[in-house]
Amino acid sequence: MGLFSDIYNTVARFFRPQEEQGEEASKSVATNRLKLVLMQDRTNLTPKILEQMRSELIDLLSRYVELDKELLELNFEQEGDQVALMLSIPVIRAKDEDEIEAAIQAHKEALLEETIDSDETDEDTEDESEDDSDEDDEIEDDGEGEEISEETEEIEASEGTEIKPKKRKKKSNVSTPDEMNSTSQENEITEQTEEEANL
Amino acid sequence: MTGRVIVITSGKGGVGKTTTSANIGTALAKNGYKVVLIDTDLGLRNLDLLLGLENRIVYTIVDVIEERCKLKQALVKDKKNPNLSLLAAAQTRDKTAVNAEQLKDICDKLKEKNDFVLVDCPAGIEQGFQNAVAGASEAIVVTTPEMSAIRDADRIIGLLNTKEDINSTKLLLNRVRPNLIKSNEMMSVDDVVGILEIPLLGIIPEDTGIITSTNKGEPIVNDENALAGKAYRNVAQRILGEEVPFLNLDEPKGFMAKLKNAISKLKVKV
Repeated sequence: MGLFSDIYNTVARFFRPQEEQGEEASKSVATNRLKLVLMQDRTNLTPKILEQMRSELIDLLSRYVELDKELLELNFEQEGDQVALMLSIPVIRAKDEDEIEAAIQAHKEALLEETIDSDETDEDTEDESEDDSDEDDEIEDDGEGEEISEETEEIEASEGTEIKPKKRKKKSNVSTPDEMNSTSQENEITEQTEEEANL
Repeated sequence: MTGRVIVITSGKGGVGKTTTSANIGTALAKNGYKVVLIDTDLGLRNLDLLLGLENRIVYTIVDVIEERCKLKQALVKDKKNPNLSLLAAAQTRDKTAVNAEQLKDICDKLKEKNDFVLVDCPAGIEQGFQNAVAGASEAIVVTTPEMSAIRDADRIIGLLNTKEDINSTKLLLNRVRPNLIKSNEMMSVDDVVGILEIPLLGIIPEDTGIITSTNKGEPIVNDENALAGKAYRNVAQRILGEEVPFLNLDEPKGFMAKLKNAISKLKVKV
């Protein structure tokens, strides 16, 4: 019995169309991998630029919700025929209207200040694209960082990649590293925001 | 007369640039057109071998550029077809012996007296590539249905797009294995064309005849029975502006394959 079924299976396999035999079609794996890699080849999205995009997104979204920045993920993924930019945002909690209002206000003023800043000193804005390590150093240097836990500092550093000229200014101003803080003159507002956020 | 200068390129090595150059050149010459093949792979020349002309090379492209001979003296005529000639690469020099300007100059001179100037480009995207494309106004990108070859082809297409003088870039898909495509183990022609997004010039099936034709120094287009030869002849016709349908590669050839195919069809009906 076993012998016959063996023979039958062998014969049947020979006559079966080949596509039924293969497990997962390796060509679709190849096609998908290739599409992803070409997407990255074709655009000039270097890891550095991706990181900048990530931090800017954090900045934007933090105005509306409180995020777990460490767990935020930004990746290219294959979605059927298309390549998608997937953003996964772990939300700790939503902010209330007042907080959002304050954050937006702070952001607006920060932008305004940036424009004034760049008008005054062109060099400052040119430096914008320079490395982050420089930035971290400055934060530590301003003496404020002593009592701040490392964790907070990290968050601030990653958050700060976008708006450097303002950070630079902090050197001379008193500043408190906090979530919403990215300006110097709006310290009061942002501190307030943080307090509210911590409630 | 102003001939067409076509560069045959790929990015990746070993996908069949030189075989393609030899075969398209031979096929065009067989159609009565005057063709010059230029091997620009300095230091790694092979086009002479594929054409069976390796013993007749006296002067190379570097000799022409360094003015040790006239351009006409360096052209080696094909044994069988007087319409076809080869300008060989120097084997003892490297890519830096020539610059883009000099190659463009040679192409410009050759196209005055020939219908086609086919430039066989070396692998890579460096100097050798820049030299080879300098005089061309059309490009044929050769690739195989493999990831690495396609990725490199994509890079080359991107670079060709930046060249103002190149006004046509077409794809030649080489070493296609229909049985693997059927079993979903190889990317199909549509997959590759969909990814690279340039017009398709030809599909060349994998053919063991290529090996024997290389051994003999005789391009496979001269073999009337070879499928790859037919595919290359079709490519030549398309270059000449004719509309030739792509070969149907699905037909199984051997008796066992036919039987297998017939029975599997039967089974589907049942």
